Amino acid sequence: MTALVDATGLRKTYGTVEVLHVDRLSLAAGEVVALLGENGAGKSTLVRVLTGATAADAGHVELGGRQLRNGDPAHAQELGVATVSQEFPLVGEMSVAENLMLGRRAGVGGVLFDRRATERAAGEVLGLIGADVPLDQPVSRLPVAQQQLVEIAKALGRDPKVLVLDEPTSALGPVESRRVIRVARDLAAQGRAVIFIGHRLDEVREIADRVLVMRNGRLVADLTPERATTEAMIRAMAGDEAEVLVEGDPPPAVGGPVLTVRGLEAAGIGPIDLDVGRGEILGVAGLMGSGRSRLVHALMGAVRTTGGTMSLAGRPYAPKHPADAVRSGVGLVPEDRARQSLLPLAPVRWNISLAALPRIAHRSWLDPAVERTFTDEVRKAVEVRCATQEQPIGTLSGGNQQRAVFGRWFAAEPRLLLLDEPTRGVDVAAKAGIYHLVESFAARGTAVVIASSELEELMRLAHRTAVLAGGRLVTTIPRSDYSKHALMTAANHVPEGAAQ
Amino acid sequence: MTSSLIETPPPKTAFGGAFLRGKEIGVVIAVAVAFTVFALANGNFAGVPNLQTMGVDLAQYGLLALGVSFVIITGGIDLSVGSVVALSGVWSAWLNVHAGLPDVIAIALALVTGAVIGVVHGLSVTVLGVPPFVTTLVTLVAARGAALALTEGFPIDGVGTVFTGIAQYRIAGVPVPTLLFVGACVLAWLFLERTYQGRQLYAVGGNAEAARLAGIRTRRRVILAYVVSSTCAAAVGVLVTARLTVGQPSIATGWELNAIAAAVIGGVGLAGGVGRVVGVAFGAILLVLINNGLVILHVSPYYQQIVLGAVLAVAVVTDRLRSRGFERNRR
Repeated sequence: MTALVDATGLRKTYGTVEVLHVDRLSLAAGEVVALLGENGAGKSTLVRVLTGATAADAGHVELGGRQLRNGDPAHAQELGVATVSQEFPLVGEMSVAENLMLGRRAGVGGVLFDRRATERAAGEVLGLIGADVPLDQPVSRLPVAQQQLVEIAKALGRDPKVLVLDEPTSALGPVESRRVIRVARDLAAQGRAVIFIGHRLDEVREIADRVLVMRNGRLVADLTPERATTEAMIRAMAGDEAEVLVEGDPPPAVGGPVLTVRGLEAAGIGPIDLDVGRGEILGVAGLMGSGRSRLVHALMGAVRTTGGTMSLAGRPYAPKHPADAVRSGVGLVPEDRARQSLLPLAPVRWNISLAALPRIAHRSWLDPAVERTFTDEVRKAVEVRCATQEQPIGTLSGGNQQRAVFGRWFAAEPRLLLLDEPTRGVDVAAKAGIYHLVESFAARGTAVVIASSELEELMRLAHRTAVLAGGRLVTTIPRSDYSKHALMTAANHVPEGAAQ
Repeated sequence: MTSSLIETPPPKTAFGGAFLRGKEIGVVIAVAVAFTVFALANGNFAGVPNLQTMGVDLAQYGLLALGVSFVIITGGIDLSVGSVVALSGVWSAWLNVHAGLPDVIAIALALVTGAVIGVVHGLSVTVLGVPPFVTTLVTLVAARGAALALTEGFPIDGVGTVFTGIAQYRIAGVPVPTLLFVGACVLAWLFLERTYQGRQLYAVGGNAEAARLAGIRTRRRVILAYVVSSTCAAAVGVLVTARLTVGQPSIATGWELNAIAAAVIGGVGLAGGVGRVVGVAFGAILLVLINNGLVILHVSPYYQQIVLGAVLAVAVVTDRLRSRGFERNRR
């Protein structure tokens, strides 16, 4: 077997943090290699270097015997690398055939669009993966799984030798996932190398000829399928227990229940029971698609609940809209700042006062001086660094933007604060600051629910961590029993009868 | 990152600084320049009779622009206002003349009808999720049709004295419609910049999902914007009928485009979340000055359209350049 990918001495450093340190990596034709690791373990950096999307600081990559020009994605494509990412860069309103042939031309004549030739060529491409997808349908009308197949087929259209599948099943149900896995196996059988980045360990075991595990930018394990037990993979990802240090404890919980959830159900999650007390920080862990965000949104009234009861500070709590939640003293810092948090063109001041407007207004009347004083105090309290609070929030760094979003709830002293990936897109140095903010909320008696994909974050902050899998609550792990190993094992537990 | 907070006091605003802050300054200067040029070119331009005519024109365009701005600020668009003007114009006349209702009642009912159209628009956009463009396009066609059906194509003659009075009365030489427009501007300014619901309107346009998750009832704000827009249009319909003293179904064709143009010239961003009453008012003034000035200078109506198009192009391109500059700053 010849090596299709051969990388040596790869190094990449951001600031003072070494994110990639791989001495030797070689992938053979006909094999499916699963790449595993926690968030930030360096999987995506490695793949980005291999596909030319990121330039390595040192080392070189050979693709099919030819050296890749460092950081040149077009060259990587030319050498036969294709990537299927998690998001679907498809044109929703165009047909499957048109999407597959996007940027290429089928049929005779240079000007006219030849529908029949396009569909024929597209059909051939889809035939490669044996997918049965209606060619003339607009992509937006297809179920997500079929869109994923179209995306894979599109990548295959260039006949790549190396195919990177970046969490291709994260948005899919079990049946569709199986299909994608079968396609990946078939492609390997055709003599390609497939790199499969995955989260679900059961899937990884099913698909891979080799399991590579990364931690802190290094390849720490290269397992054969026989040796790749769930236990072994988790051990490799989590590292030695001794390495895990939990620096500093959160302030002790004040006690007294704030939020009680019984049998909560919403699309894709539940039934879930939760209790959070005053000053308590409850972590929510789980793999991608386990329902972390959905749970948080259900608590905020942002998605419709279909069953169960909740009570907040002893009173029944059934928010039908986030406005109900806010009025009951609940706040949310959403996951995606650009799409769910910020008014990007509006001044810092507007972004801070957004949720507090009815409170700082006198009846409906909003006194500009009152607002300015209010937001300026909040800004100082949560330490948003900016020249003036009149500058657009889009001009601030990620960490400062996130502080402003926290500031939205700061003055309200909410009973319950919901955090969804509170440090996403925040650089390492600013994370500590965000952690202190979270603790300061808890210290003032706010109950905090923090959903995160970063286990360190939960281990650092949370008093207890609830672990979700397949939309169900698997277990709740108290701080004294924390270990990455325990959290990961729980997250990979698939409860009986759950929709996986 | 530095360890200390950067404490720069906000720049002191000079006289009128807050009033003319930012992008509105451009259109204010354009108004001053246009007025000076036309006044120098033709002695009648700045004369009282012409100013009064322009004042009434301004009330019509300005009210429409003001209403449409509410919708654009929420990130929507309202194409129906011209047709709603026509419908309201003949409907108020019909109620007054054919149904025999007192003038004031007829006018009030016409305004209520406008508000109802706005509610329907708002529900269609928020509850049904029909894009604003399509929703209001339906009304653009249907309301015009209703205006024609109501009159069977003929003007409705003989409206009461309240109608004619609105058009004829002047207070200190200023026509009543102009005063109404000024009043509407003050109200709109108070709402948008001095109430929290106004701020929430901007938030909905700036990022609807962020607004919703921050606990803002976005649907109510959007519905309100459409109600304001359609009610303004209905009011303009009454003003036009008053001016013509007949209910005329063919009036105000294409005025929605003038209204949107005035808003955009005044700095209202079509993407939503941006725009101020000062800008909209001056955008409308500029539009009226150019229209009227070119007529007085005997420029062919065809060329007037070209000039208006050019002004709009300048406004849009300036807006684009400004936001691109902003995006560059973020890097």
